[in-house]
Amino acid sequence: MYRGVRYALTACLGIAIGFTLERFGFGFAGPWRRLIRERQGQGVLAQCVAIGLTAIVIQPLIASSSSLLGAIAPISLTMILGAFVFGFAMQLILGCGSGTLVNAGSGNLIALVALPAFCVGSFLGTLILPAAMASTPHVAISLPETLGVPQSLLVTLLGLVALAWWATRGQGGDRWNRPLLIAALCIAALASLHVLIAGQPWGVVYGLGLWAAKMAMGLGWEPSAAAFWVHPINAQALSNSVLTDTTSLTDFGLIFGAALAAWKGAGKTPLTPMVRWWLYGAIVLAGLALGVSSRLAFGCNVGALFSGIASGSVHGWVWLVAAFVGSVGGVRVRDWLWQRATKTEAA
Amino acid sequence: MTRRLGIAGAVLLVALIIASDWIFGGAPNPYRAPDPIAWGSSSGASGAICTFAPPTPGQ
Repeated sequence: MYRGVRYALTACLGIAIGFTLERFGFGFAGPWRRLIRERQGQGVLAQCVAIGLTAIVIQPLIASSSSLLGAIAPISLTMILGAFVFGFAMQLILGCGSGTLVNAGSGNLIALVALPAFCVGSFLGTLILPAAMASTPHVAISLPETLGVPQSLLVTLLGLVALAWWATRGQGGDRWNRPLLIAALCIAALASLHVLIAGQPWGVVYGLGLWAAKMAMGLGWEPSAAAFWVHPINAQALSNSVLTDTTSLTDFGLIFGAALAAWKGAGKTPLTPMVRWWLYGAIVLAGLALGVSSRLAFGCNVGALFSGIASGSVHGWVWLVAAFVGSVGGVRVRDWLWQRATKTEAA
Repeated sequence: MTRRLGIAGAVLLVALIIASDWIFGGAPNPYRAPDPIAWGSSSGASGAICTFAPPTPGQ
């Protein structure tokens, strides 16, 4: 009677998240860019609200049920390097994990070019991850397990308040942006429902690597030689349909949800940006870098930053710092690149 | 050409991924579907998640 209900609900959650992100302009790469360039922290404040509300719901839930799983990942040198590169590359294409899917769904040609490379990069990352893990110590720290849920929540919320204060300090005008706060409330509700329904927090990049791995299998690649893919969880994901994989379902949903939200306005916007052809080569490289780095960093802005911090994983906070430092460089390089790539009438 | 062409391209990309997976890998098995929601059920999270870290020898 209930066959496939969980999969349908997960896909619907993805559609709702994609619609919300596109409709309200809620994101990660863009707000970080505005904070770095213009000292405007409203978007980062909204991110903190969304993560904090999600943490309040999911940390007690995960601790109380053996059927639910938190987004806890290890910290290491290669993980920090991965997060740094991800932060740098996401500014080049102005699309993070969720942002690239939402932008692709809204018909953005840059994201459509970057997305296949992102998938391939994520798959390549799975091939080098075991070697990266063997090369440096990896230590996972779960705040709920180490401190207990009330103390973990307190530490998480205090950290988010400090981050929100830092991001909006000295900002002229209103700190609170109403549409972004509405989006933050919606995203927090949907991310909490995701844990209840799927049993694990919202993620993006696992699905992208899985799609490329399945394509590689079709081309003759043998997964039994890859340490990542012989693990029972991943081997099962490879052998099962993508329609039963949680992150694939939400990823598909994100694209469809963004497409629904963008369709009306998309009829008035040109498909091709006025940029020189060589920029697409840089975008493909950035997409590959996003994929590889997000695998080494155990997630992107969603799986590592949003869901990691909300779950009480210290790795999420380390990811945040490393990726933000990378973003500072990425913003500068993007401005330089786009200045040279943008076609002018005189050119 | 407007962005609607890009939206159609993105939807087509998803359709291609699902169709090729269905053709070469097979359709989902309806008899192996988990409970409607993971919370409180015996069939919890799949564990196929972005933060997945494969165990390495000695760690």
